[in-house]
Amino acid sequence: MALIEVKQLKYRYPHTEKLALDGIDFTVEKGEFIGVIGENKAGKSTLCQAFVGLVPSMFRGAYGGKLFVDGMEAGKTPVAELCRHVGLVFQNPFNQLSGAKETVFEEVAFGLQNLGIPRGEIIRRVEDNLARLDITEYRNRNPFDLSGGQTQRVAIASILAMEPQVIVLDEPTSQLDPQGSEEVFKVVEALKHTGITVLMVEHKMEKLAEYCDKILLMHEGKQIAYDTPEQIFSRDDLDKYGIQPPVYTRVSKTLNISKSEWENKEYPVTLSQIVELKEDFPKKLTGRTRLEYRGDEKQEELFDIQDLEFGYTSQKLVIQNLSLQLSKNPTALIGQNGAGKTTLVKLLKGLLKPNSGRILLNGEDISGKSVAKLAGMVGYVFQNPDDQIFKTRVMDEVMVGPLHIGMSKEMATEKARWALEMVGMSHWEQENPYDLDLSERKMVAIASVIAMEPKVLILDEPTIAQDDRGRKVLGSIIKKLSENGVFVLAILHDMDFVAEYFDRVIVMAHGEVISDGPKESVFYEKESLTLARLEQPHMARLCEALDYEGIFLTVEDLKDKGRE
Amino acid sequence: MKSISLYVDQDTFLTRLHSFSKLYYIVVAIIIPLIGGSLGLYGLCLGLSFCLIIAGRIVKRVLPLIAFSFTIILTVFLIHGLFNQENEQILFSLGPLIFYQEGLLYATKIGLNILNMLLAFAVFVLTTRPAVLVDDLEQAGFSPRFGYMISSVFQIIPQMMGTMNTIMDAQRSRGLETEGNLLVRTRAFIPLISPVVNSSLINTRERAIALEVRGFDSKQKKTFLQDHKLQREDKLFMAFMTILLIGSVIWRITTWL
Repeated sequence: MALIEVKQLKYRYPHTEKLALDGIDFTVEKGEFIGVIGENKAGKSTLCQAFVGLVPSMFRGAYGGKLFVDGMEAGKTPVAELCRHVGLVFQNPFNQLSGAKETVFEEVAFGLQNLGIPRGEIIRRVEDNLARLDITEYRNRNPFDLSGGQTQRVAIASILAMEPQVIVLDEPTSQLDPQGSEEVFKVVEALKHTGITVLMVEHKMEKLAEYCDKILLMHEGKQIAYDTPEQIFSRDDLDKYGIQPPVYTRVSKTLNISKSEWENKEYPVTLSQIVELKEDFPKKLTGRTRLEYRGDEKQEELFDIQDLEFGYTSQKLVIQNLSLQLSKNPTALIGQNGAGKTTLVKLLKGLLKPNSGRILLNGEDISGKSVAKLAGMVGYVFQNPDDQIFKTRVMDEVMVGPLHIGMSKEMATEKARWALEMVGMSHWEQENPYDLDLSERKMVAIASVIAMEPKVLILDEPTIAQDDRGRKVLGSIIKKLSENGVFVLAILHDMDFVAEYFDRVIVMAHGEVISDGPKESVFYEKESLTLARLEQPHMARLCEALDYEGIFLTVEDLKDKGRE
Repeated sequence: MKSISLYVDQDTFLTRLHSFSKLYYIVVAIIIPLIGGSLGLYGLCLGLSFCLIIAGRIVKRVLPLIAFSFTIILTVFLIHGLFNQENEQILFSLGPLIFYQEGLLYATKIGLNILNMLLAFAVFVLTTRPAVLVDDLEQAGFSPRFGYMISSVFQIIPQMMGTMNTIMDAQRSRGLETEGNLLVRTRAFIPLISPVVNSSLINTRERAIALEVRGFDSKQKKTFLQDHKLQREDKLFMAFMTILLIGSVIWRITTWL
């Protein structure tokens, strides 16, 4: 008998009409690594919660079908019992902390204490898992003081210490920076070799393709397919389900290079599979020939930053001696956490005041203006939408900003409608923002700033929690606003997204700008990327593995091949 | 993270003492003068607390507390010294203000009581880690839910205070004026409350899931990482306090006779 058997699983949340899970049916053998993909609201998280019995025991609602883990029926076993066999790790690292323990050691021990495991055994398991996740050095730190990546590792350690047979990971890296994600993926990769059965929901298809034995494709609560990564990503209808296959598959599809020439074409899904087929790829490709932006072009300057210095305390400077001119090309600010990116944009927004140096906006020093006075000119969308949403209707929320900066009610309504349409949320006007999911709340937050018609739009990590469709909407917002003369400046961790939608890239490390220019050149300055601990976009890495000499940033660049 | 607990992390006789011994101390120190009924017993308890505070190396932390309590005690002296119903005997006068003996005596008792309680609590609060207290309570049979409630307050409130600053920035960014006169600032406060409450509610829901999957609801008897049994020092300390307590009862009886 398989370790996991899901039979015609159906579930509906209370007070809703649509099934959140509709006839899910698959089996998993012990030690397999299963990926779960689908756009937001496809039912992925609900499925994860069904695995630990939270659906239906905690959420109630209508439940049908069966889910067996090692012979136990998840719907009928108490969560407190099931949690010994199935562990769950989810997105937000901080909300997974018990909130009652003062040190990492005690946090990891918490679950074991609840289960009444003998003390000696607890200490052994905690020590083992601290070492396994490389967090032994933080054992006496307060878990709330750690970074996102570190906290997520504490969460995983806490679950692994309970020694479950199955671990369910629900987008464990979606709220982490690239270094944090990398830390977590390393752990996940190590798990693959321990014989534990893993179920992972993830939007990073390149990673899933690398790890998974099988992938479950879901859409609107239904199971569309359950097959090998090669089979799943070679499908022609993925667009319909809001899935973008790994860049490796997209490239192979564009060039029509497949692994097998049967009816059922299988395209490569990982870099190593591509390298195996290297012979089939064209010997030479030229890549992108036109630059969208040239650094030396004389353009109207919007921001002129002169000798900026800033520190939260007098001892340690976060921004040192920074001079920078910003004009209207869409600009991405990249770098690791702690590089000073958020501090810099907060200075531009006037939320922080420089220790020394000046920031000129259209030739005028911003230091004399209050944040509220600057609001109409410089818009700033925070990383976490819940920090700003306070109205109970989406429309009201979006109108707050325009009303604050002195627009009439009619005008504010008109602008709010326009902004909601731009972020694709028009049909949610009357909803309560708190009934929406995180990606939608993020769109509401963006709309609420766009509606003020600022000349500058600053976005802090807009792609977090967005699926492929959300990313495309974001991309179109950036394009449209730039065309309308708005300067878009975004802090981003997603290099593929930067390569696709931005012209200028500024790399920051330790409070300094270490590289700045058109993306076509910055993404090929490997030294500064390494220094900032960043990676090239997937496409650039792929084409390098194939020994192509030109500049490749997106799959579209392959299509330039005929234009020479 | 900034802690809201007043606990001073150091290794002293007092921090090693069991939390129940210190709780017992609070009770005894407060009731001895009440039972004994003499001002001298206040002196005894205050002296005892001072000795413990010095031994526990927490004098620096206690001084501001005392300074704060003096503002309250002073008010009590003014009110009772001037206006107590039983005032008859004039003690002294400062310009138009006439102070009476009865009121001042009453105020002295109240003042000493406040000071006594404050110091006894300081001995406990400044030398007991909240987590240890919770552990001790749970081992003594309190439910883990009750324990969780206490300890989560110490973790979650500082976290909420951190969120508050971000929320303020987010609202200012959308043109909410937070600088200016009192009216402007009061009005600016409202949009801050609901994101704080709402995001805490969202966090709470997720945290509930986190607790469930860590077996918080398990029927098993919980394991404790440390046994907090009463040590020899605790027993001696509590015996000494009991003797003082009995002493004060005898004192009271003999003064009656």
